[in-house]
Amino acid sequence: MEYAELHCLSNFTFLRGASHPHELIEQADALGYSALALTDECSVAGVVRAHMAAKRRQLKLIVGAEFHLSCGLKLVALAIDRHGYGQLCRLITRGRRAAVKGQYTLTRADLEALGLEQCFVLWIPAAAPQPQELRWLAAHFPGRVRIAVELLRAGDHGSRLATLSRIGAECGSGLVASGDVHMHVRNRRRLQDALTAIRLNEPIAQLGTRLYANGERYLRERARLERLYPPELLAATIEIAHSCHFSLDELRYQYPRELVPPGETPTSYLRRLTLEGAHWRWPGGVPPAERSAIEHELALIEELRYEPYFLTVQDIVAYARRQGILCQGRGSAANSRVCYCLGVTSVDPQRGAALLFERFISRERNEPPDIDIDFEHERREEVLQYVYNKYGRERAALAATVIMYRPRSALRDLGKVFGLSPEQSGRLAKVMQWWDGSASIGERVREAGFDADSPWLRRLLPLACELTAFPGFPRHLSQHVGGFVIAQGALEELVPIENAAMPERTVVQWDKDDLNDLGLLKVDLLALGMLTALKRAFALVNGYRGTSYSLGDLPAEDPKVYDMVCRADTIGVFQIESRAQMAMLPRLKPRCYYDLVIEVAIVRPGPIQGDMVHPYLRRRSGAEPVEYPGKEVHAVLHRTLGVPIFQEQVMQIAILAAGFSPGEADALRRAMGAWKRTGGLDPFRERLLSGMQAKGYAPEFAERIYQQMLGFGEFGFPESHSLSFALLVYDSAWLKCHEPAAFACALLNSQPMGFYAPAQLVRDARAHGVEVRAVDACVSAWDATLERREDGEPALRLGLRLVKSLSRAGADRLIGARNARPFASVEDLAMRSALDRGDLEALAAAGALAALSGNRHLAFWEVAGTEVPLPLAPVDARPASELEGRPLLTAPTEGQSIAADYASLGLTLGRHPLALLRKRLSAAALTPAAELISAGHGARVRTAGIVLMRQRPGTASGVTFLTLEDESGQVNVIVWERVGREQRRPLLESRLLEVHGELQHQEGVTHLIAHRLIDRSWMLGELTTRSRDFH
Amino acid sequence: MAVHLHPSAVSTANVPSAPAARADGTAPSTPLRSVRPAPHTSSAQELWAGLHLNGLTPVQRLEELASRAQRFSPRVSLAPPDGLLLEVAGSLHLFGGVAGLRRELTGECGHLQPPPVLAFAPTPLAALTAARAGRALVIEDPAQLVGLLAPLPIAALRWPEETCARLARAGVRTIGAVLRLPRAGFARRFGVAQLATLDALTGRSREVRATHRSALRFRRRHELDCELSDHGRLHAALEPLLAALGAFLTTHQCGVAQLECRLLHRNGAPTSCRLSLAASRADAPQLSALFRERLSLLQLREPVRALELRADQLLPQRSPCRGLWQLGEQGGEAAEESEGLIDRLCARLGEGAVHGLARRAEHRPECAWAVTSPPALAARRATTRRAAAAEHAGPPARPLWLLPAPQPLAAQGGLPRRRGALRLLSEPERIETGWWDGGEIARDYYVAIDRHGVRLWVFREREEPHRWFLHGIFG
Repeated sequence: MEYAELHCLSNFTFLRGASHPHELIEQADALGYSALALTDECSVAGVVRAHMAAKRRQLKLIVGAEFHLSCGLKLVALAIDRHGYGQLCRLITRGRRAAVKGQYTLTRADLEALGLEQCFVLWIPAAAPQPQELRWLAAHFPGRVRIAVELLRAGDHGSRLATLSRIGAECGSGLVASGDVHMHVRNRRRLQDALTAIRLNEPIAQLGTRLYANGERYLRERARLERLYPPELLAATIEIAHSCHFSLDELRYQYPRELVPPGETPTSYLRRLTLEGAHWRWPGGVPPAERSAIEHELALIEELRYEPYFLTVQDIVAYARRQGILCQGRGSAANSRVCYCLGVTSVDPQRGAALLFERFISRERNEPPDIDIDFEHERREEVLQYVYNKYGRERAALAATVIMYRPRSALRDLGKVFGLSPEQSGRLAKVMQWWDGSASIGERVREAGFDADSPWLRRLLPLACELTAFPGFPRHLSQHVGGFVIAQGALEELVPIENAAMPERTVVQWDKDDLNDLGLLKVDLLALGMLTALKRAFALVNGYRGTSYSLGDLPAEDPKVYDMVCRADTIGVFQIESRAQMAMLPRLKPRCYYDLVIEVAIVRPGPIQGDMVHPYLRRRSGAEPVEYPGKEVHAVLHRTLGVPIFQEQVMQIAILAAGFSPGEADALRRAMGAWKRTGGLDPFRERLLSGMQAKGYAPEFAERIYQQMLGFGEFGFPESHSLSFALLVYDSAWLKCHEPAAFACALLNSQPMGFYAPAQLVRDARAHGVEVRAVDACVSAWDATLERREDGEPALRLGLRLVKSLSRAGADRLIGARNARPFASVEDLAMRSALDRGDLEALAAAGALAALSGNRHLAFWEVAGTEVPLPLAPVDARPASELEGRPLLTAPTEGQSIAADYASLGLTLGRHPLALLRKRLSAAALTPAAELISAGHGARVRTAGIVLMRQRPGTASGVTFLTLEDESGQVNVIVWERVGREQRRPLLESRLLEVHGELQHQEGVTHLIAHRLIDRSWMLGELTTRSRDFH
Repeated sequence: MAVHLHPSAVSTANVPSAPAARADGTAPSTPLRSVRPAPHTSSAQELWAGLHLNGLTPVQRLEELASRAQRFSPRVSLAPPDGLLLEVAGSLHLFGGVAGLRRELTGECGHLQPPPVLAFAPTPLAALTAARAGRALVIEDPAQLVGLLAPLPIAALRWPEETCARLARAGVRTIGAVLRLPRAGFARRFGVAQLATLDALTGRSREVRATHRSALRFRRRHELDCELSDHGRLHAALEPLLAALGAFLTTHQCGVAQLECRLLHRNGAPTSCRLSLAASRADAPQLSALFRERLSLLQLREPVRALELRADQLLPQRSPCRGLWQLGEQGGEAAEESEGLIDRLCARLGEGAVHGLARRAEHRPECAWAVTSPPALAARRATTRRAAAAEHAGPPARPLWLLPAPQPLAAQGGLPRRRGALRLLSEPERIETGWWDGGEIARDYYVAIDRHGVRLWVFREREEPHRWFLHGIFG
């Protein structure tokens, strides 16, 4: 007997469904179902995954959704055709938009207003069926209402069937079998119970009858169903399944068209804009070669009908430009001459290597164009709102991100399920560090002193594994960082739109992979802190030098800049300031723009995992001859000395050397991006290895290419992005080299961003000869500023924004009052700026009142006594301070001042705190950082420093990188996995860390390999330091 | 004429060890209305012992300690959560000076770990502050007070954290530094309350501290003229004690829910006879009636020499609000009446013989009901009625009589047998749940009928070997 399941929830009905969409599809197929309807509650968030799985299995997927109306009516709607799907999406959008994030509200009036003409409606009767519900449904959806009979072994099959048959006969509605499926197999029952407890936020032992009585809500075998249901009810499922013929493949996406002025076609308009841009880019006339290249690109764009995409991007960029918001595009289509002319990028096609447009967009590969646009991070919101306003909320929305359970969140939620208090489950969750994988949960829990053999943990741990197992169990939807979907028609008929947590933001129910899978195009509008900093730095430099520098206008290929970069003197420089990058610079020794392109891309998991870094470095230094693994790939690899570095190169090798068809290569590209999510890269491995062997490539090379693909999976870094990023690298390095004061100033004002805290930026600026002046309430603005020294060079004045807990409004009033007339005293300042006690104390704590009141203690005493005068209070001629007399206060010691500086500003202009401890440190035979250089390779040394940073890259197999700082400099410490495991607490908890270890000098890079770690934080006393932890 | 009594003179009548003080049942404490200790005219005469307990102490422990410390001084004051103060100037000589007192006091709390810190100073706050700072100072001379307190950290004053942080930012971290600040300026910046603390610390103003009073309880003993073993006569002998309790409860507007009568023997350990009541009561006749029931059940091993009535936990009692109608009349609630019935049943049958039943929302039949204690019974009845109404559409039929544990049944041909083959009447009801607490079940329940026409509730386990059990019997 054939059967189609028409009521089935996946885990995209968050915290109800206990199986992934693909598991449901695969199980339904294995059981020989004729079709499966995915009917998540007021959601289609899981249907794309189900659709892809159903296509693989060639199972029919019906798209639907379950709704619980406010009146208690519960129903399932199934889309019959494309129109019905649109109605379904509209209804979901309406319910979701009317409620807060994650919720929905729908009433009968909503259904009446929107209609579901092209949907089947299944009535899901309550335990005590209310016939009036069915009467209402039958009246509004004539002929398309069925009664879902869900026999779940509650001991009432006979009576329920009889009751529902009677009600159905009264209303003329047929009965249909369905299973209220929550899981694909019955052994997910425990997980389903636990999810219920998480959803209801109560310990499972208290839930009682709010749990399901049994585990019958799974995909049941057909033989079993035949025993339970009358055959006509099973046949009715097939009838509905046949009538529903909608497939997600029918969705056709159309770009907005209103960007084209009347009288023009998208083709003619794009051509006009491009040619206008060409004259702007080449004021002296477009070189003939470029001109023909532009024509070539335009022809290709026309052929692929990508004009609306380019016009959309152009419109957004033009808006940003009008508003003076710095932006830059990157990605495959961005590195075209068309984009250069449209102002989307500044990658001068003649500057790097001459690039072939087909490298990025190809006729055969049928890849959608991909352009990401970075904006100044503080102003991106303006751009987002522009897009919302221009296209309307019914046509534009952000992509979603599915938040998955991580080991920590799984343990925290499950702890509560088993009745742990929030603190206890927090403690349980904390046993997992950010790098710990789900496989080690049991081990970690045991290590942390929990008795893993206790009954409740024995029940909890398997659930934790299920929640965190590949490909990750979804918990809720969040918003993507900036992926916008813009449609020509109503977007909400394509995919439902719901509210995001942030006000004024709406998201679609699909994430970027879903959109990709369906070929819907999105534009990524991203926020980039470095653009904010560059904008500020240009303004500062132009201000005092009278220049007019902007993005891409700086003197190109300056050898002094590259000298600095080769020294790894790159704190604050875009992309190449991280530890790993700084360790690479002296070895790679970039001397030109294209070297920077490589530098940006090489310190990435792909090349590292594919073991491409060392061969490249050896060839660059001449230690190894430049060879090509085969003649086909010469053209692809000659710019990187025969070693594949970029994602595009790996793709092209697959085509040229392994004989992939363009279609296969496209499938490979998608699989590379998504293999962590869906697995399934193995078939490509076979194909790749055999293909390359057939053309005579060494198996080792083929295997390395494959490993590189795995590495690209998550962090694939293509040349097309690297080309754009390298421009920002050069510009920021140029500013650091020639205008260190302006550069540091701009970075400080753009915090938080980048790798380093203000303390390191200021320390580095001073090391480069910048005079840094203290925060001073009589001089400082909100931001850091540049002051002209007597010799005409700029000095950096720290801004009030560094002062902890000083309000912006208070600072603005202070600056206003100061502009009127300089302050005579603290009381004058307090009175005229109308600052409250909190702001005044914040200023005193920062030492910003030193000019008015002397040391911090006196300043604090003074501000603590000031009161905002009441408007009608009589004015006493004498200030209170005179009446009270001067207090006997001790002046702060140097140590106290430094601690206070750190507490308020996060940095000090005084001595480094370790300078004060040096005597004690020397007595303990600890060497300062600067002297470590003179110790030889392999020397055993001991040092100590404040922990600035901890890093644990996923590619480094458990190695932790630490950066320590003392008064003389920084030390890079490498903690191998075993050492880190054995000395976990000092590694994770120390603020001041003593390290015993072995020194390594390699190609100008010094590392300390740690053997022993000792927590010396107590020596810091009140000093507050914080490490930045990355992974 | 002013009666000037030395403080310790008052205290002797009130120390807990004196039996006379217990006889009237009132708490041993300084009387408030009767003879008041002489006003402490000059603070210079005072010497305070401040005791700081390290670690968190429940208030009850602190009160217990305070009660015991009343043997050193009548003026014992609590400084929750972890401090105790005693004014010891008058009693110092009784214990051999500061050293002797320190020894005795430390001995009194010898079981506490880590050991408490004890400091002596002319003002209570100074003594406490020194103790909190972990300094066992002895400051007998007021002139030395400020000098010795100066190095202590201001944290010991227990000012709000924010105040201490703000003082630290002005470089003020010790009591000495804070005392150097100008008074008016300090008050304006850090508050008048903080200035008052400083004045109390240095003795510039006198701090009035509430004296600790022990909790109220009733204990009375009656020595019998001759040894008795007859229940009736014992009950008669108990009557006066109960009458005294009744009067005591009325005076203090209290009631009792737990009452113990101890019957003391010549040789063996006392026999205890306890009453636990459904609601707190205060009237002697009712209590007497209940004791009659309890005593009549008592097995005495040897004759009784003395009786002691103890009520250690007193509950505040409002005098009952009498209704216009007689109980049961005009639909008036019979709540009080049934409580009386429960108490009588408990008294006669013994506790544990009477309990209530309640329903629980659980799928597992064995967990779907619960035993409740008798006092909660009356309260539950109303809610149970409501819950039953709400669960109208709940699970299918449940038997009224559920066996304490399922009984295995023989099976033949896949069907259960019990004095002959059983016939299954219903479809299976599947229950699979309870995995989280070790009581996991996975069963298919059926209603079955045996050859006598008795309807039974049986189940078949889902796990191999699919055994059959009898779990309940329908009426």
